Amino acid sequence: MTAKHVPCVEMYGVSKSFGEVRALDAVDFEAAKGEIHALLGENGAGKTTLMNILSGLYRLDEGQIVVDRREVDIHSPQDAIAVGVGMVHQHVELIGNFTALENILLGREGSRWRLDVDAQRASVEELAANYGLSIPLDEQVKTLPAGIQQKVEILKALYHGADILILDEPTTMLTPHEVDGLFSILKSFATGGLTVVFITHKIQEVLDNCDRITVFRGGRKIDTIPREEATRDRLVQMMMGERGMPPVGERPTGPSAAREGDPALSVRGVRTSAKSGVPLTDVAFDVPRGLIVGMAGISGNGQKELAEALAGLIEIEEGEVHLGGEEVSALSVAGRIARGMSLLPQDRIEEGILPGLSLAENFVLGLHPHIFKRRGVFEREAAHELGRNAIAEFNILARNEHVPAAHLSGGNIQKTIVARAVMLAHRTGGKAMIANNPTRGLDVMAASFVHGRLRELRAGGAGVLLISEDLDELCQMSDRIVVIYAGEILGAFDGPEYDIYQIGALMAGQKEGEVS
Amino acid sequence: MAAPASVSEKKKMAMEFAVTYAAAGALALACGAVFIVAFGGDVLVALGTVLRSSLGTWGGFAQTLNKFSPLLLASLAVAFGMRGGHFNIGVDGQIYAGAIGMTGTAFALEGMNLPWPVFVPLGLLGGILGGWFWGFIPGILRVRYRVSEIFVTVMLNFVALYLVDYLANGPWNDPLAGDAISLPIPDASVLPQVMPRAGAHAGFIIALAAAVGMYYFMTRTIAGYEIRAVGDNPRAARFGGINVARVTLIIMPTCGALSGLAGAIEVSGFHQSLLLGISGAEGAPNYGAMAILIAVIGRNNPLGVTIAAAVFAVLVSGSDSLQRSIGLPGAAVFVFQAIIVLTVVFVQARRNIKAG
Repeated sequence: MTAKHVPCVEMYGVSKSFGEVRALDAVDFEAAKGEIHALLGENGAGKTTLMNILSGLYRLDEGQIVVDRREVDIHSPQDAIAVGVGMVHQHVELIGNFTALENILLGREGSRWRLDVDAQRASVEELAANYGLSIPLDEQVKTLPAGIQQKVEILKALYHGADILILDEPTTMLTPHEVDGLFSILKSFATGGLTVVFITHKIQEVLDNCDRITVFRGGRKIDTIPREEATRDRLVQMMMGERGMPPVGERPTGPSAAREGDPALSVRGVRTSAKSGVPLTDVAFDVPRGLIVGMAGISGNGQKELAEALAGLIEIEEGEVHLGGEEVSALSVAGRIARGMSLLPQDRIEEGILPGLSLAENFVLGLHPHIFKRRGVFEREAAHELGRNAIAEFNILARNEHVPAAHLSGGNIQKTIVARAVMLAHRTGGKAMIANNPTRGLDVMAASFVHGRLRELRAGGAGVLLISEDLDELCQMSDRIVVIYAGEILGAFDGPEYDIYQIGALMAGQKEGEVS
Repeated sequence: MAAPASVSEKKKMAMEFAVTYAAAGALALACGAVFIVAFGGDVLVALGTVLRSSLGTWGGFAQTLNKFSPLLLASLAVAFGMRGGHFNIGVDGQIYAGAIGMTGTAFALEGMNLPWPVFVPLGLLGGILGGWFWGFIPGILRVRYRVSEIFVTVMLNFVALYLVDYLANGPWNDPLAGDAISLPIPDASVLPQVMPRAGAHAGFIIALAAAVGMYYFMTRTIAGYEIRAVGDNPRAARFGGINVARVTLIIMPTCGALSGLAGAIEVSGFHQSLLLGISGAEGAPNYGAMAILIAVIGRNNPLGVTIAAAVFAVLVSGSDSLQRSIGLPGAAVFVFQAIIVLTVVFVQARRNIKAG
């Protein structure tokens, strides 16, 4: 990159509100030709919103967009691609039943009436070769690993004419190896004259991989600085402002912290049917009391099914689940809850809350068979009191316990769900907690809150199974990490220190002993 | 029911409610006026006629009360199901099943010389059980075999209808009365009148009690809480340990029982025999269809449903006189009802769009 930037994209005074929430407040942004530009900020800081405006997904309320020195009016993704802006979203948006090639051609089929695949195959292949993207063009996309699917999306954007490539949190679904591969490709793009903008909340990625960094906080741009001036402390300060980073919790101590006696959770040869999702084959591991066991794996490798099978939501075909030494495989969800199992579901909106019911009524879900004195009676006063206490104790931002849960922000919804699970654990003697991606999409403060509660449970002698797609989180929290791939446990690593490349290799499906 | 809110919030919600319905009511009146004018009628005269004939005389008022009880019970049956996420379109069948249960009990106990305070409750219980069973069938099919309750309830409507047809023409037929009508039920099984001269029976008291009962059941019992949880988000409810199958097996039969009670009251209080057309007279929408509309307008809330049912009862009972006074077909009232529903739905949707 030359010392003098040639601005390629300029955005001036961009504002955007959703209802009463001001997501972006008069933001200026500029990215140059041939650079990798990082947008850094917490969840909800506005970085994705700004790029969604640039790529035509949202319409700005106020402001101006200039591409290659010409003011442009972007109303749709088609408008955006017409001026060379292409975006790869956090969750892959390809059609699973189509081949990679068909997906790439989609929306740019050439002739209006006839899909001439063969004529265009050559140009796609050439483009892929030029950019060093090796993709099996004739495979159905759904059979490809997440890392390859992402490459398909990138190639699709390039084929549609993008020379400004935006990637939203591109590393969340990747193994460490794939992350390295992705960034080396992005660097070659930049050298070749493309503009790469990537959105992230991970400081290390920014420090390792980009030319300039723009930091967002609370819907405002804080500053843009070159890589050379960036340090971890400075970026943290810019990202978090006066609040600073939440204190780093206690480090895991490794498996030696396990307490005597029956493990909190013992999974023995569990097998589930393909009817209920990714089939689990012979899954076996223990979560001893007093430990956090992390489960690493790329999303969609059976984590969800495992969590649900343990909680009693999915039928187990073979094998056993023991909770504190007691076989619970045949028990209902409520039966397992009563014996001390609690679950933080993966999808907090669809699986966690009762949106139309009050906060108090949400807190008592699961507890409701246990907390009321009179049989069969829903004691409203007791529920309200519990709600008031929980709001105070867990610091939940809500006017009172009567508001519908749907009115809360995402972070406060998750706090509500965590609070409920923790209260449930206290009431039922809390043997095991299964937390399925409990911090996904949360800001740093809310994530730190969740981590704090999980550590408290661990300290109280419960066993915690922490399922996460974020390897950093797992390394920071877990006393042991097991790796799941295609419904199978491929290996286990004892903490507190971990080699993320070793774990990553298993996440990609390489069995121990194989070399990549 | 919405969560019990603090005073200011309650006020705000009540205001919102009032504004929604005032707007919908005004819009409905305006649309209705267009229809009346198109039929060549006078708007004010038409409105006056409906109100006078349904509320302005003792006889009319009694008829309105008599319409109110089955409408309210049937609407509660729909609302109860909706709260739990089930769409009960089998109200008519359940009403017939309740009517059969009532009539059958009355005939079975005829010889025992029971006094009415014993006989009437037993008869109504027979109706409740009939409806309960008619709701239990779709419930169990849903839980065991995942058959859509919508499917089953529609089919059961036909079964119940033809069962009544058979009974009223066959074994229970009254040869003196003619087609499709049973022998009268014994006097001691007839629901007492509260306004004997005007002809209003005690059904509305039972219906109102059912509305109050539903309110308390939904808010003060664990079963009610579980029903609301399942209706709000069945997946989250399952994650919370609620047995959704068991909840379904509470909901559907209870819907049936409420409708069954409506049918029993129609037999015991109004017709005093089993006949076809118990669920709505000929040429009019039947109770099941109106109940869905009322539940929608009342937002499945017992109080809202009670008010909406009262409005509909006024319209239905006033409709007969329309034709006599201004030559409008009685069915015009049903057009008017449909307009009310559409405008309420429209106004609600608009508010949702603005809020969301």
